[in-house]
Amino acid sequence: KAVVSTQSTGVLVSVFGPHECANRTARNHERAIISCSYNFASFGAAVRKKKMTADKKTTEVGVMIQNTFEAAVMLEKFPKSQIDIYVQVLQGDGGERCVAINATTLALINAGIPLKDYVCACAATVFQDSVLLDINNLEESYRGPLFMLAVMPQTESIVQLQLDHRLHNDHLDKVVRETIQGCRDIKVLLDRQVKEWTVEAAAAYEIKPRV
Amino acid sequence: MATRLSINEIRYIIDGVEQDFRTDGRAAEDYRHVELESRVLPNTNGSARCKLGKTEVLVGIKAEVVDVDVHAPHIGKLVITADCSAVASPKFVGKGSEALENDLTNILSFIYHSTETLPLKELCILPGKSCWQLNVDVLFVQCGGNLFDVASIALKAALHNTTLPKVRVSGEGIEMEMEVADDPYHVWKLDVSNWPICITLYQIGCSFAVDPSEEEVACSEGYVHVGVLPSGDVSSMEKSGAGNIDPTVLLEMVEVGVRVGEDIHNQLDKQLEAEKSLAKL
Repeated sequence: KAVVSTQSTGVLVSVFGPHECANRTARNHERAIISCSYNFASFGAAVRKKKMTADKKTTEVGVMIQNTFEAAVMLEKFPKSQIDIYVQVLQGDGGERCVAINATTLALINAGIPLKDYVCACAATVFQDSVLLDINNLEESYRGPLFMLAVMPQTESIVQLQLDHRLHNDHLDKVVRETIQGCRDIKVLLDRQVKEWTVEAAAAYEIKPRV
Repeated sequence: MATRLSINEIRYIIDGVEQDFRTDGRAAEDYRHVELESRVLPNTNGSARCKLGKTEVLVGIKAEVVDVDVHAPHIGKLVITADCSAVASPKFVGKGSEALENDLTNILSFIYHSTETLPLKELCILPGKSCWQLNVDVLFVQCGGNLFDVASIALKAALHNTTLPKVRVSGEGIEMEMEVADDPYHVWKLDVSNWPICITLYQIGCSFAVDPSEEEVACSEGYVHVGVLPSGDVSSMEKSGAGNIDPTVLLEMVEVGVRVGEDIHNQLDKQLEAEKSLAKL
């Protein structure tokens, strides 16, 4: 389980598994399948949203997170099993998808599920020729280009890319470079947290890990 | 939440409760350690997070101005919705949590629906026209037994720190107008000195206990929810679950419920007062 919150956006992620596939027809003989559910709390948004089950937007985000981690998790190690990822957004102030992906990375590591690399996500927009990283709700509502990138920092390979609204071709290179840098910065923070956990867990066994 | 227990484990748990010495060493009237954090959600008017044993609950209160109910034109409204997050258990994905959520919503709404005990008159803005509606969203992040009590404790704490914008009413008669203050510091707080909390007593074997763990809930047959006011009065009562309860045991249960309820109110009020001295608002 992992709770990740930025200043105003808070996301709680729980990972269950790997366990036996709930649905026998969906199971894969060569690798594990990932099932993901994304939920937004009623009190999460500035304007209260009544609870809606299986809203199109939330299903889409769920599938997006599932696809992202199918690329990052070593699924071949767990044939015929299932890994569940449940995302609950507690407060939404912009960039919920990114915080969700970062939290899921931490939750998977906490669960001991082997990953090929961290998956770090960052959102950006372009405003008056400068790139703004990690935008909040107010900045999102400006309707400028909304660029979200999920990257595996070591190889710098892009796992997920989403762009809303219009982005001029001239800005594309700059935005991609700066967002990847943003993701690298997030990796440093995630790494720090993982090291803290390792030290804590090892202390219970009286081992001093080399971190 | 079905936990699989062997016959011997069930016997052990029931014997423990009957002898006033439960598996974790508690007496039948003892609550587990309560962790309470207020104002955790900045998007809301009031919020609290409460953790009791393995159960963790987040309560967010958002207020909006609505039309008054025709049958009750001088009071405000309180709408409670319970939500079991999938984060708590894979069983709660999609429609899996509907039955439990309905149960929780109904019981909590029942405890908090008495218009005589709740100071809902404070929430009325223009009598006969507009009032505040408090939308209380209870989100269960972890379920480990005793969900109702935790929710009501968190609810009281959340209500304690709920701030509502001041409304200026001008004009007379039909032309009364109201203006909701824009200034985030121009607010007022509710008076929570008369809000009840729910104490649930579970019948286990021939005896009963409060604040059971998940395993103890699995061994219980029937439970009684008692809404206890800080003065020691009972505002509501409901029996749920499968199993019959002896009337004399019921009276004992209510007595214990009131005793435990008053104690919790005292401790909770003390902590909330201490918190007030920390916060500036």
